[in-house]
Amino acid sequence: MSTLEFEVRSGGTISIDLNKCRTCESKACVKICNSTGMGGILELKDGLPSLKPTLEEVKRGACTEDLACELDCQLYGNKAITVTLPLPELDEYLENLTERPTYEREA
Amino acid sequence: MARLLEYQGKALFKRKGIPVPAGKVVRSASEAADVAEELGFPLAVKAQVHAGGRGKAGAIRFPDDQGSLTKAVEELLQQRIHGDAVEEVLIEKKAGVEKELYLAVTADPSRRQPVAIFSSRGGVDIEETAHQEASAVLTLPIDILRGLYYYDALNLLRRDWQLDSRRMFAAANILTNLYQVYREYDCKLAEINPLALTADGAVALDARVDIDDDSLARQSSLDIEVAEEAGERGATALEVAAGTIDENDHRGSVHFVQIDPDGSYARSEGKVPIGFDCVGAGTSLTTMDELVPLGYYPTNFCDSSGNPVGSKLYRITKVILSQPQIEGYVFVSCVSSQQLDNTARGIIKAFQELYPATGGQPNIPSILVFRGAWDDVAIELFAQHGISGGRWIRVLGRDTSEREAAEIFDSLYKEWKAETGGFE
Repeated sequence: MSTLEFEVRSGGTISIDLNKCRTCESKACVKICNSTGMGGILELKDGLPSLKPTLEEVKRGACTEDLACELDCQLYGNKAITVTLPLPELDEYLENLTERPTYEREA
Repeated sequence: MARLLEYQGKALFKRKGIPVPAGKVVRSASEAADVAEELGFPLAVKAQVHAGGRGKAGAIRFPDDQGSLTKAVEELLQQRIHGDAVEEVLIEKKAGVEKELYLAVTADPSRRQPVAIFSSRGGVDIEETAHQEASAVLTLPIDILRGLYYYDALNLLRRDWQLDSRRMFAAANILTNLYQVYREYDCKLAEINPLALTADGAVALDARVDIDDDSLARQSSLDIEVAEEAGERGATALEVAAGTIDENDHRGSVHFVQIDPDGSYARSEGKVPIGFDCVGAGTSLTTMDELVPLGYYPTNFCDSSGNPVGSKLYRITKVILSQPQIEGYVFVSCVSSQQLDNTARGIIKAFQELYPATGGQPNIPSILVFRGAWDDVAIELFAQHGISGGRWIRVLGRDTSEREAAEIFDSLYKEWKAETGGFE
């Protein structure tokens, strides 16, 4: 298994590229998930991040979606984590906009 | 409060036996032609928007032939009525009105009970009538456990001597049924203005039905998309999007309403439209109070509550920043127990995604004031991710008051405008 992927309560997925984790020395995601983060759902198993609860428990809300794993992996790990949180109604709104949002424009 | 469109309100009236004109909702002139063939002229064509005062705004027309019908429908479908885009029009058989009455049932907060309201001087300007001649508007408090009986309605109506008995009986029957609409659909207001008296009897020419948003879970048949307080307009597409964030996730909430959806009010007042987010509604209001005199107008209200998960802050920040007219962003938290490092992570992720070229540093003047639980961690996170070093962002802490936050934003905006020229 090279990817650990699980769904979260709000509708979205967290994907961890375990190939990148193999060379990660910090394992920052596990540390932050069990400290500042309230979830405590990640643990190390055979040297790689793994889920403590079941996939169903995670989806029901065991993952508190604090985003700490992704952001700390950016800072201290191998950028192995991608949290995807769709909002289809916002995408639809943006598609129908005649004037683009300021983040797409240059001041 | 969730306000129904006229035709939706009339559908509820019809279910409870209140007469309404024959009619159909259309979205094009060709559909309108089909309805005209079925109903015959003269017709009433009415823009379906949530705003009141449609008659005065030219949103109601009375075509008497096919040509004027097509013209009316095409014109209305391109109009905005008090900022509300017209997407549907209601085509009805025009009624021959002899007299117009006003009937309503609403909640009276001072009495803590429903009240029935009647006036024999219905139609436009009923509010003005009520203001200038209070005796022309009659009210009857209703014991909610007992309900409103037909003879209660009669007792109310006979206090006005302008109705003959036949019409009084018809109107009393309709008022009794209107109370059933009010109760069964958990209304805050069920109003008929006008109830037209015609040669064929009484008919509800308009319907204003406001549903209590706390009841929407049991009023699912009404198919209401969003229940945020939006005043006299329907929910915007952005409000609908924001409303879905809390839909399947009970862990905290983010409450988003557009105050000035297209920024036109801000512009007309000579103010700069900005995106706005707060933790705590009180802080939101006091911060607005400081920003407005300095020349800034938040185009939205947003309050997060109940310690929302970081993913909610991520999504709502994207929503706020997608308002195309904003020239700034202000986030202020009150001193509360909301875990601000999680809040910060949500905002950081959104910034990184929206401003990838700068690693999350915004291109509009932005201030973020973190005051409360884990505020030091929140501030540190912005520094660690290289965002607070951006040219147009200030990340501030618990020693910052609302006034100071507004003044710092003002100063930053002026620098930004002078250096970049803004988006003009």
